[in-house]
Amino acid sequence: MKPWPFEYHRANSIEDAIATLGRHGEGARLLAGGQSLIPMMNLGLATPDLVVDVGNLSDLAYVLVEDGVLRIGALATHNTIMEADASASACPMLVVAYHSVAHHTIRNRGTLGGNICHADPASEMPLVLTLLDASMVIRGARGERVVAAGNFFIDAFETEVEPAEMLTEIRIPAQAAGEGYAFEEMSQRKGDFAIVSAGCRLSIRKGQMTNVRFGLTGAGAQTRRMSVVEAKLEGAGPDDRLLAEAAELAVVNSDPSDDIHADAAYRLDLVRTMSRRVLAAAVRMTAKQGAL
Amino acid sequence: MKDQTRRIPASRQREKPGQKTKWIGTDMKRVEDPRLLTGQGRYADDVSVPGMLHAATLSSPHAHARIISIDVSKARALPGVVAVMTGEAVARLTGPLPCFSNPPVEQRCVAIDRVRHVGEPVAIIAAESRYIAEDAARLIEVEYEPLPAMNDPRKAMHAIGEGVLHPARGDTNVAMHRNFSFGDVAGDFARATRVVKRSLRWARSGAQPLETCGAVSEYDSATGKFTIHVNSSMYNYVGWLLAVTLGVPVHKLNIIPTIAGGSFGSKLFIHKVPVISAVLARETGRPVKYLEDRSDNILACDHHGSDRFYDCELALDHNDKMISMRCKVIDDYGAYFQFDIGHHGNALSQITGPYQIGSVEADITAVMTNKCQQGAYRGFGSEVSNYVMERMVDAACSEFGLDPVEFRRKNFIKPEQFPYFIPTGNLYDSGNYPAVLDKALQMLDYDGWRNKQKEARKEGRYIGIGLATCQERSVFSATEFWMLNHEAGFALTSSPEGVKVKIDPTGNAVITLQAPFWGNSPETMATMILAEHLTMDPANISVTYADTDSGIAGTGPGGSRFTVMVAGAIVSASQVIRKKLFLLAAHLLDADPSEMELFDGKVRVKGRQGAEKSIADLAMMAHFFRLSFPDTPEFDTGLDASCTYDHPLTTMPSEDRKDLGIFYPIMGHMCHMPVVEIDVETGKVKFLDYVAVHDCGTIVNPMTLAGHVRGGTAQGIGSAIYEEYKYADDGQLLNANFADYILPSVNEVPPNVRVGHVVTPSPFTEYGIKGGGEGGRMGAPPAIASAIEDALKPFGVKADFLPLTPAKLRGLIRQATANQ
Repeated sequence: MKPWPFEYHRANSIEDAIATLGRHGEGARLLAGGQSLIPMMNLGLATPDLVVDVGNLSDLAYVLVEDGVLRIGALATHNTIMEADASASACPMLVVAYHSVAHHTIRNRGTLGGNICHADPASEMPLVLTLLDASMVIRGARGERVVAAGNFFIDAFETEVEPAEMLTEIRIPAQAAGEGYAFEEMSQRKGDFAIVSAGCRLSIRKGQMTNVRFGLTGAGAQTRRMSVVEAKLEGAGPDDRLLAEAAELAVVNSDPSDDIHADAAYRLDLVRTMSRRVLAAAVRMTAKQGAL
Repeated sequence: MKDQTRRIPASRQREKPGQKTKWIGTDMKRVEDPRLLTGQGRYADDVSVPGMLHAATLSSPHAHARIISIDVSKARALPGVVAVMTGEAVARLTGPLPCFSNPPVEQRCVAIDRVRHVGEPVAIIAAESRYIAEDAARLIEVEYEPLPAMNDPRKAMHAIGEGVLHPARGDTNVAMHRNFSFGDVAGDFARATRVVKRSLRWARSGAQPLETCGAVSEYDSATGKFTIHVNSSMYNYVGWLLAVTLGVPVHKLNIIPTIAGGSFGSKLFIHKVPVISAVLARETGRPVKYLEDRSDNILACDHHGSDRFYDCELALDHNDKMISMRCKVIDDYGAYFQFDIGHHGNALSQITGPYQIGSVEADITAVMTNKCQQGAYRGFGSEVSNYVMERMVDAACSEFGLDPVEFRRKNFIKPEQFPYFIPTGNLYDSGNYPAVLDKALQMLDYDGWRNKQKEARKEGRYIGIGLATCQERSVFSATEFWMLNHEAGFALTSSPEGVKVKIDPTGNAVITLQAPFWGNSPETMATMILAEHLTMDPANISVTYADTDSGIAGTGPGGSRFTVMVAGAIVSASQVIRKKLFLLAAHLLDADPSEMELFDGKVRVKGRQGAEKSIADLAMMAHFFRLSFPDTPEFDTGLDASCTYDHPLTTMPSEDRKDLGIFYPIMGHMCHMPVVEIDVETGKVKFLDYVAVHDCGTIVNPMTLAGHVRGGTAQGIGSAIYEEYKYADDGQLLNANFADYILPSVNEVPPNVRVGHVVTPSPFTEYGIKGGGEGGRMGAPPAIASAIEDALKPFGVKADFLPLTPAKLRGLIRQATANQ
C-alpha cells in the first residue's frame, strides 16, 4: 500500500508554494496535515506527480479575532482551532461541531484549510463554515481574492481554488450575542464522517426567528444550506409544529443515495430527525439566553 | 439413558483443583508487557537480514476470471526489480498450499489460469524496496476473461458450467454437503407440543489483527535449506506441510516464529505468505520479506469468519422442555476450503448449548463462492451456533410467552448431571450453569434494571436487557478439521503440546514453548505455573519459543487450549526436574529422595532443621560436578526436561459419524447480560451496562482472563452491530479498508464490561483449568441481539440477523411502525 512515485517539494513560503504549483501545472498537490491526501495516495486514489508540502509554513497556523472576525490561518490544526479561546468567544458553534470531527490524533495533524480544500461532501466543516457565513482567502500568482463559503464549495471534492492557487486564510464573522445554534450528526462511530449531519443558527427577535441558517450533509450529493427551509422559518414563531414541518420540508428537498453504510430511506429518516433536533436545540438555546 | 453408557476414559489429572497455591489464581502482571509496551517487541516486520529484498503481489481485480495472458516485461525492466514470477513460474518451484479437506481443494500461493476472488495474487515481485515492488506490480499487464462471479451461496450452490469455481472437483460449487443427525430427531419433533421456527443470518466478518501476516525467508543454496521467520501459529504442528509445498525434505526447512501483533485465530496457520517469500528467496538467491498490507490482509488473508444462513426449528414438550433442535445451514466458504467444515465440527461440540436437548440434526451445505476463504476467527464457527441456539431460545420465549430467565434455568443441564454427553457424542466435563446465571443476575441487578426499563419506557426511551447463557468449549483436538469429511484423509490426532524446561547452572529457568506469542499471555501463564511447581520466584524464569529445528510437538494456541495444554506439559516437566533435584539433594544431605520436599526455592529434608540445598546450589552441582555423585545414570549431567502433553480427553468417533466421540470436552460456560438503550429514530445502540460472568474452571490469572473476556466482548460487539464484509454482486469487496469496515472503537465499547467468575474445575485437566480465550466473542453477539430485541419489544422487531447496524435497525423499526 505504497503511493505511486512522486516528486516532493517543501515550500519555504506561500510565494514559493504558489510559484511551484504554477510551474508544475495540474499534477501537483498541496500537502498540509496529510490526513486525507496521504491515505488517498497510499490507496492509489490520488496519484500526484508533485507534492508541495506547505506544512512548514507555521506563519499560517494562527487563530485570532480581529474586528469581530475570527481569522484562521490555513495551516492551523483542528485541535488548535478547537482549543483556541478566540474560537470559543467568537464562533462557539465551530467548537461545538468540532466535537464530532475525527479523533484527537487526526485533529492534531489535520488542518481546517486542508480539510475544506479536500471538500469531502461527508465532511462536517464545509457545512459549518457555510452556515457561519465564512469566507476564504485564496492567493494566486496575481494576488489575493476572497470567496464566500457559499461559492467556495463547488461540488464534491471541488472548490474555487485553482490548481496554481492556495488557500491562506478562513474568515468567520463572530456569531451574534444571544444567537442559538446547534450541530448534530449520526455516524456509526464517534469520529467517523457523518451519515447525515445537520447544523442550524438562528436568532429570535420579538418572538420571530431571524437570520436563520440551516443545512445538511448526507442529504444529497453535496453539502448544502437549505434556503427553502430557512425561508419557511424566517420571520415565523418557533413552535414545535412549525419546526416539524421544516424538518419535513428538509426531507422533501433531500435527495440522498444508497451506499454501503446506509440506504436512502435511512438517510431521509435521519434528515428528518437531525433537522428537528438541531432546530429545536437552537431555539432552546436562544430561550436559555433570554432572547425570547 | 443410553448415552451415559458411553465410555469416559479415566482422568489423567495429576494436580488436583482447590489446592493452596502461591501464584496460580493471582493477578500477576504480564511478563510480556514491558518489552511490548516500550516498543521493543520483535515482530515479523522488524526482522531484517542483510541483502534482504521486499516482495509485493499483484492482486486480481476480478472475482472470477480466466487468466489469458500475463506480460511482466515492463515490470522486470524497472530498476530495482530483482524477480517477477507468475503463477506458472511459481508452480515450477512449489506445489499446492496445505489443505485439510478431502479431497483437497487445490489452492496455489499465486493463481494459475484462473482467479477465484478479488485480491488473489496473480504475480509476485521481489525488489530492492517495497515501493519499487509495488511500482513494478502496476506495470504488469494481465488479460483476463471474466467468468460469472458467485456472490450468494444460495445461488452459487445451483450454478453449473462457467460459474463453477473448481471444475476439477465436479460441476458444482457445493464443496461438501452432509446431514448429521443424533438421537431420535423425527420422533422428538413428532411428540413435540410446540415448535418454533426461525431463519437466521450470521454475516461474514474477520479478525483484523493490527499486524498483518508476514514472513522473511532465506534459502541457502549450498545446503538446500530454507529458513523462514513468520508470525504463524501451528508451525511446530503442521509447519512441515510448508516444506512439502516448497518441495524440500522437512528437515530442510527451519521455521522461526516471531511474535504476533494480534491474531484472534487469523494467524492459525499462515501458508500463502511464507511460501511467497520463500519461493522468491529461492528464485533470487537473496532473503525476501513479504508482509501483507492492509488490503492484502482484508482481501486475501485466508481467514475470513463464518458466513451462514440458517433455517432452524426448536421443539418443546408440554412441560416447556426443549427436546430437539434441527437446522439446515448454508455456509459460504469462499474460494477455497482449507479446514473443510471444521467450523461446524466445532459447533457440533456444543450445538445444544447448556441445555438438556435429547436430539439434534444439522444439515450442512458448504458452498464455494468468489470470496476470500474462511479460516479461523475467535470461536471458529461455534460462536455462530451459540447465536443460533440462544436466538431460538429467545424466539421460544417470545412466541410462547415464557420468561427468558426461568425457561433457561429449567432447561439447563443440572450440576449433578456431569460429566454429560450431548447427543453428538461430545462430553461436557463439568459445569454449574445455575450458579453462573445467578451470579450474572445479581451482579447486574436484573430486577433493578427491569424497573428502570419500565420507567424509561414511560418517557419514550427504549432500554433493553439482554441475556445469553452459552457454552465455551475449550481445548480442541484438531481432529475437527477433518473429522467430518465423508472420508477422513487422515487418522485422528491427540493435538499434543510440548515444553522444554531447563534450569541453568545458577538455578534460573528457561521455558521453551513450541508455539508463538499470539497476543495472549503465554509467558505469564507458563511462568506462573512453573513458579508454582518449583516454588521459584517468577523473576527467575524466562520464556522463549522454539523454532522447528529444535522444537518438539506443539499444536499451539487455538480453540482456547493453550493454558490447559501448557500447564499439562509443565507439570510433566517439573516432575522430572523435581525428581532430579530430590535425587541430588538426597545424596548431598545424606537422606532418601522420598524424604525431600520443595519449599521456597529450596529442597529440604522433611522435618530436619537446616538440612536444605537451594535450587541454585543443586543446579550448579548438576551442571558441573558430576564426579561428586555416584556413577549411576540418574545422576548424569544436566537439569532439564522436554515433555509433551497429549490431549487430556479424546475418544474416537464412530465410522458413520453418528457418534462424534469426545473431541472438545473441557467445557466452559458464560452468561452475558448487556443493557442497551436504542435511539429509535437513528437506530443507534448505546450500552448502559454490561455484565459477563464466565466459568473457565480454575483460573490461572484473573486479570489476563478478564482481558480476554473484555477483548472478546469488544469483538462480539463488532460482530453484533458493526462489522460485515460487504461483497457486491460482481464480487468486489466494497469495504476493504478500515474507513469502511467498521470496527468498534473505544467509544463504542462499554467503558466497563463488568466481569465475574464462577469456578467449576475440570476433573480432567491439571488444577482443573479450562480455556477461556474466546469466550467474549462467543457470548456477546446473542446477548446483544437479545438486548436489542428486548428494547424494541413494543415494535415487535426480531434480531434475526447480524450485524444490526444503525441503518438496518432503523429500517426494522420503520417497517414495524408502518405495519402497526
